[in-house]
Amino acid sequence: MEPSLTDVRMVVEEVWTSFLGAEDPLLPMAPGTLDVGWSAAVTVSGEWQGAVSVELPRSMAEEIARRMLGLDDEVDSVGDDDVADAVGELVNMIGGNVKSLMPGPSALSLPVVAAGRVARASDVIEACRLDASWAGAPLLVSVHVRHPEKG
Amino acid sequence: MKILVADDSRVMRQIVIRTLRQAGYAGHDIVEAENGRDALDKVRSESPDLVLSDWNMPEMSGIDLLATLRQSGSTVPFGFVTSEGSPDMRARASAGGALFLIAKPFTPEAFDEVLAPVLKG
Repeated sequence: MEPSLTDVRMVVEEVWTSFLGAEDPLLPMAPGTLDVGWSAAVTVSGEWQGAVSVELPRSMAEEIARRMLGLDDEVDSVGDDDVADAVGELVNMIGGNVKSLMPGPSALSLPVVAAGRVARASDVIEACRLDASWAGAPLLVSVHVRHPEKG
Repeated sequence: MKILVADDSRVMRQIVIRTLRQAGYAGHDIVEAENGRDALDKVRSESPDLVLSDWNMPEMSGIDLLATLRQSGSTVPFGFVTSEGSPDMRARASAGGALFLIAKPFTPEAFDEVLAPVLKG
């Protein structure tokens, strides 16, 4: 069983609208090249097993951290610790809400955050991907599940 | 009143504190804790009137924090602010003695709905 693209889009849009402002909506976008500056993933283990990850360009990750912290982007710079924290919290919220849509009981991991692309286990396949753009730049949210033939 | 905000994410603690203000709860003393263990120490040293805690945290989770508080006799009002709002998690929170569970992402209105009975008496 896997979450539908509609469910994942709804979850991601709710996170964006709540914490990043409704004035810059998330827009659908065709899959393309994404220069990944930051990424983060959480895993769900239990009745449903999967991983939810977010991949963002560096400038978008920094803007997300600024907005979540309520900083003035004209004045305040943001450090890597805060960017990692913000990106981790983003995937925690998306992953936690995806977990709530799937059969339980299951447990959500703490987020793993990377400058660059997070490594994935070799026995997983992509079950769902949401390509979107925000403030003119692309981002990717994806859900991976264990490959059925690799148990 | 004094409110303890426990979350391993500094960014999320800032959002929770900002949302408290937006929900009309400015002016309360805020104490921050980085995980359940830190929160446990600060409940004892700071005697807050309310604990708002994340669920998934390193060192000590929010549900373990709540269990430890209740086992030690603390009756401090306690609510979760967590990314997991499934019926199963809400049932576990309630069984542990939590007053409410606010699911992330949240709005100031969601805060006011559950906090008004606690903070406005």
